[in-house]
Amino acid sequence: MLGGGLDPALNAPPMRLQFGPSHPATHGTVRIVLDLDGEQIINADVQVGYLHRGFEKECESGFYYQNIPYTDRLNYSSPILCNTAYCMAVEKLLGIKTPERCDYIRVIGCELSRMADHMLCLGSSAMELAAFTPFLYLLEARELVLDHIDAMCGARVTTNAVRIGGVYSDLPEGFREFSRVKLDRALELVEDAHKILTDNIVFRRRMEGTGYLSPEDLIAYGVTGPMLRAGGIALDLRRTQPYLVYPQLDFDVPVGEHSDNFDRYLVRMEEIRQSRRIIAQCLERIPTGPVNVDDPRCRWPGKNQVFGRMEELIDQFKLVTEGGLFPPGEVYFALESANGEIGFYLVSDGTGKPYKCRVRSPSFSNMSPLGHALKGRQLADVVPTFGMTNMIGGECDR
Amino acid sequence: MPENNPQPPTVSAAEPPAPSPLMAAVLARLGTLVVEHHADYGDDRIHVARENIAEVCRALRDTPELAFDMCLDVTAVDYFGNPDGFRAPERIWDENRGEWRIRPVSRHYVIPPPRGPEPRFAVVYHLLSTRHLHRLRIKTRVPEDDPTIATVSDIWPAANWLERETWDLYGIRFTGHPDLRRIYLNDEFVGHPLRKDYAKEHEQPLEEYMGPGAKEPRRPLS
Amino acid sequence: MAARVVKVARPQPMTRRWTPLLVGLGVAIAHFFRNLLGFARGRQDFTVYFPEQRFVQPPAMRGMPVLVQMPNGKERCVACGLCEFACPTNCITIFPAETASEVERYPEVFDIDMSRCMFCGLCEEACPEEAIVMSRQVEIACYSRRGSLWHKQDLLVPEAELKPRLDYLRPQYARK
Repeated sequence: MLGGGLDPALNAPPMRLQFGPSHPATHGTVRIVLDLDGEQIINADVQVGYLHRGFEKECESGFYYQNIPYTDRLNYSSPILCNTAYCMAVEKLLGIKTPERCDYIRVIGCELSRMADHMLCLGSSAMELAAFTPFLYLLEARELVLDHIDAMCGARVTTNAVRIGGVYSDLPEGFREFSRVKLDRALELVEDAHKILTDNIVFRRRMEGTGYLSPEDLIAYGVTGPMLRAGGIALDLRRTQPYLVYPQLDFDVPVGEHSDNFDRYLVRMEEIRQSRRIIAQCLERIPTGPVNVDDPRCRWPGKNQVFGRMEELIDQFKLVTEGGLFPPGEVYFALESANGEIGFYLVSDGTGKPYKCRVRSPSFSNMSPLGHALKGRQLADVVPTFGMTNMIGGECDR
Repeated sequence: MPENNPQPPTVSAAEPPAPSPLMAAVLARLGTLVVEHHADYGDDRIHVARENIAEVCRALRDTPELAFDMCLDVTAVDYFGNPDGFRAPERIWDENRGEWRIRPVSRHYVIPPPRGPEPRFAVVYHLLSTRHLHRLRIKTRVPEDDPTIATVSDIWPAANWLERETWDLYGIRFTGHPDLRRIYLNDEFVGHPLRKDYAKEHEQPLEEYMGPGAKEPRRPLS
Repeated sequence: MAARVVKVARPQPMTRRWTPLLVGLGVAIAHFFRNLLGFARGRQDFTVYFPEQRFVQPPAMRGMPVLVQMPNGKERCVACGLCEFACPTNCITIFPAETASEVERYPEVFDIDMSRCMFCGLCEEACPEEAIVMSRQVEIACYSRRGSLWHKQDLLVPEAELKPRLDYLRPQYARK
């Protein structure tokens, strides 16, 4: 019972503390109503929804291709992952197999986004624990990663990089050398942050043993991603249900064993290094060829054809104004985003607009056991636990 | 390139294909509780009656060879009483031309389909087994005049928030839910915005400001 | 060639208290000298002093959408309305009109509400005439909401100035 009763000795109810909605130590807009007995948390009620924008309602009134920019705004620290998940869900509905070069470019984009997301998560969590220097290093590393995304698709955060049946743009010339230099520097900065943080006594005392969730609780609450893997369960969709070109790549899936905040931190740190490996392998093996599928149901014709020929011009007009040809049915497609399984459940009624576009967002499910994890803990544990949950408001509240 | 564009799987095949091993196991365990089953686009899905949902979910979780221990998603679809799958394209009678035409597409507006005879909503559950790594989708129809269904939040705690969200956005009541409050919208919100008859441009009346502490709208009931 | 599961190496429990702190201090000092050197060399490392220095933008960079002005001073747009259709946020308004020249149509009104535009580039991708492109202009702050409404005369940019973007676009959207 939140609110509690009167303490018979003190003749007073427990103290109610409003943590948020805009607390400086939470990187996200969330309100946690805490009932405190001294420093101990008796009850925690997590209230989300301060960033609810009606994403699903908006998607129902736009064509399939018009919803791709909105998926950038779901997880704004790793937008290409959301783009890819949405476009692959639509491709599953259409039954399209994208060209191999397109798959490689998507994997590169996904892993760059994953690195950027983890860097932001670790950096801001460290800052909330009063370690400002590694925050600056990790943000500098993130800027270097965003330079890649900028070169790939022309925008740093609102990427709009993936299209249904292809990608927005091919990799620029010289991307491999560009990436080698910049990613090496970014990884150096991550290692610097690692040196400062991982052995630091203040950081470890606040991270070790806090925010514990048992593996059974993690599964029962539907937690996925680094939080689940820190509990020792090696559920990574890149490994268990491979998509794109992940089966051909060589990488490690880090798992923890203590299921506390420090393991979540270590898992994320290791995933940054593994993403670096994946990107290096992709840039080595990427084949030449087209990046767009040649499918008149969804992919727009080339501009050189539109300028010159009548059929393609008509095709362009039909595709833009009617959205494309989509079979009726329903699909669910999920991939491993930086926070866990992001899935899109699309219901199509055979028109160019989704009848329903549902996001299974990892942040939302990862937030739901937060109150359970905080119960009986200290007030100071709220900040590291919330930081390592890595709630992204746009994705959690949609 | 024909190999690039395989045709989408047809939903109305003359002969139903053999069920997948997972579906065979599910059918063997649940028997007549499954109303129908499909495997469109490679996603296994079963339809069950509304009264049996808790029993079905408990069986799916507790049977060792199924072991659906993770509830990924609970949501609803407002079908307006149409059969799910939309087997036939929606058509309207064009009076000017005197012919049937496909329902026009209106940009930035939603034209809901005509109402059908079936129950209006469908509640959809997505399940995952972390042990066997297989997935299942459960669909249940819920009528408009009595939008209630038994909760599964005692089976998977993950469904707690997801059911609150479904109540918030679709107005489907989950009986037995421990704490059925709105999760995204404020308590004064009128209507449920993801229903198809709630227009996108619909505005809510402004609430009068009561002063700090005069009213705690999202305070949980103790 | 597969994914392996590895356990993350958890460092030893804290026995030595001061060495890690000294290591961290060493890292910070190294960064200090690196930055100082970079400052002496003209700060090539990271910081861009924005109004004086400019970012090096990649060719793919998407700024605000503008209209291409042909050498004869007219817009290339034929007011077909595809960008208006493709725009997810409904920020483009076009009133077409007829003209006696060989293109037959031109936009009498072409307004873009920049407070709603999200620079997604779908208008550019939909345009069948290469008439609306994403420029490099991003500094479009204004003092009023009315000021964020850009009319046709404000949006027209000569073709020569947009040459880098047009050169980037042609291979980008071409298919064989």
